[in-house]
Amino acid sequence: MQTKHILKSALFGALLALAGLAQAQVAVIVNPKSATASMTADQVSGIFLGKTNTLPSGATAAPADLPEGAAARDAFYSKVTGKQSPQVKAAWSRIVFSGKGTPPKELGSAADVKKFVASNPDAIGYIEKSAVDGSVKVVLSVD
Amino acid sequence: MVLKISRLAPLALAVAVLSAQAQGSNEPSFNFSGFATVGVVSTDNNDGAYAITGELHGATKHKASGEVDSKIGVQGTVKLNKMFSGTVQLLSKQDGDGSYMPNVEWAFVKAQLMPSLSIRVGRMGAPLFAVSDFRDVGYANLWLRPPQDVYGQVPISNFDGADVIYQMPVGSTTLTAQVYGGRSKAVVQHTDIELKSEVGFNLTAEMDNGLTLRAGRIQGKLTVDSATLANLVGILRTTPFASVGNELDPTNKKASFTGVGASYDQGNVVGSFEYTWRRTDSYVPDTTGWFATLGYRFGKVTPYLTVSELKQDSSNVTNNIPTGVSPTLNTLKATVDGVVYGQSRNQKTVAVGARWDFYRSMALKAQYENVKPNGPGLFINTNGNFGQTKVNVYSLSVDMVF
Repeated sequence: MQTKHILKSALFGALLALAGLAQAQVAVIVNPKSATASMTADQVSGIFLGKTNTLPSGATAAPADLPEGAAARDAFYSKVTGKQSPQVKAAWSRIVFSGKGTPPKELGSAADVKKFVASNPDAIGYIEKSAVDGSVKVVLSVD
Repeated sequence: MVLKISRLAPLALAVAVLSAQAQGSNEPSFNFSGFATVGVVSTDNNDGAYAITGELHGATKHKASGEVDSKIGVQGTVKLNKMFSGTVQLLSKQDGDGSYMPNVEWAFVKAQLMPSLSIRVGRMGAPLFAVSDFRDVGYANLWLRPPQDVYGQVPISNFDGADVIYQMPVGSTTLTAQVYGGRSKAVVQHTDIELKSEVGFNLTAEMDNGLTLRAGRIQGKLTVDSATLANLVGILRTTPFASVGNELDPTNKKASFTGVGASYDQGNVVGSFEYTWRRTDSYVPDTTGWFATLGYRFGKVTPYLTVSELKQDSSNVTNNIPTGVSPTLNTLKATVDGVVYGQSRNQKTVAVGARWDFYRSMALKAQYENVKPNGPGLFINTNGNFGQTKVNVYSLSVDMVF
């Protein structure tokens, strides 16, 4: 009985963990007033890896990052750009130390990213999908 | 003191222009970043020392060296508005005088005239190689250091002048064209080197499949300020063999450096290749250098293999002084041969290494090189026994960015 119970709770825990992984859905967000309605992963990737600095609307993008080590940040980079955090860091160090650009502004939390995006018409950021509200507009969702 | 002032002149200019601009701006932003490498190198040979071109102190079997690779750089960028920005980079590493005095590596003002077009004025990185601007930023590169059989050919890293950069998307490829002009200075083992009347270009094509292609060329007038050599050239010009002196003479002589390259970074595969040519009308020999690197990412660890070669195409000097005519001429001929031999730069290298991204913004690297020199190669302080055997070089480093 006892072992069965332990097995059951272990299984339940594993399921919860899996559900947690599956729920790491990330939404790429822009200002509600932005002319950009939707973006492809390649377009978003280009901005966050420093290959371009313009939004599809032609405006100069103001990208924002979540803090290093945030689960949504790792999920965003691996799913949208296909790169792990050391690769992203190395790519930006090549851009910064050739004087060609500066990395996305690093903000403290999803709330800060939302606030930044909501108050800046050219901003682009990403947060967990569950944190999205009416102050921002989703242009890309990744599971 | 005069030298110090001229070194700092671009910095003063940048600061002056920026503070003048800052008056009328309402959205200035400042970015600060830096990089550092702590590295140690050892070899199995005492007949010559392993060093990066220009350095005064290298590594031998008896004396491992922390001076070959260790360095620290800081960089600040002030963005005044959408058009104007200014960047200064200070770099402290072992220089050609054996000093760690921070050098103003860059100090330029940039005007972004259109999203695709910018102009820069001041001191900028000289784009001689595929990895030029960030060749000192270990963290940005896979190798422990750029392959010296290619990167060791030119000691110049920056130029004082101006450039124009134009960026254009063609389908899914981004083309970048840079044209520049100016002058460069470098110190190699206490000897001043100058390249004046420089003009150059750098073209890159970055494709969305991870492949980047590159071609570039620089040419100018080279002067190597060596009193010993000037003395020898002066003596030769009083003999019937003045032509030998003229061929040796490195004063205001035409020089060029041309290179093509490709790099690939997609999924877990990383690769790069460069092929380069150095040409001068002086005792600095014509050389060809190439390398190929292939690496594979296993999570945070990336092992890699590099093969490279530096070969001398021509010494540029025809030593037609006859032997057996007089002891003076014998000595003169031997002296010229010695100078020419001292410049010979033939070597082949096989290197294996690994990069481990062990912590945020830090990478640990280990690299083993097997170098086969023919003559002194890129080694310094070589004695008569050097060049008979292969040299094993062992390096370890920690790179970081902040």
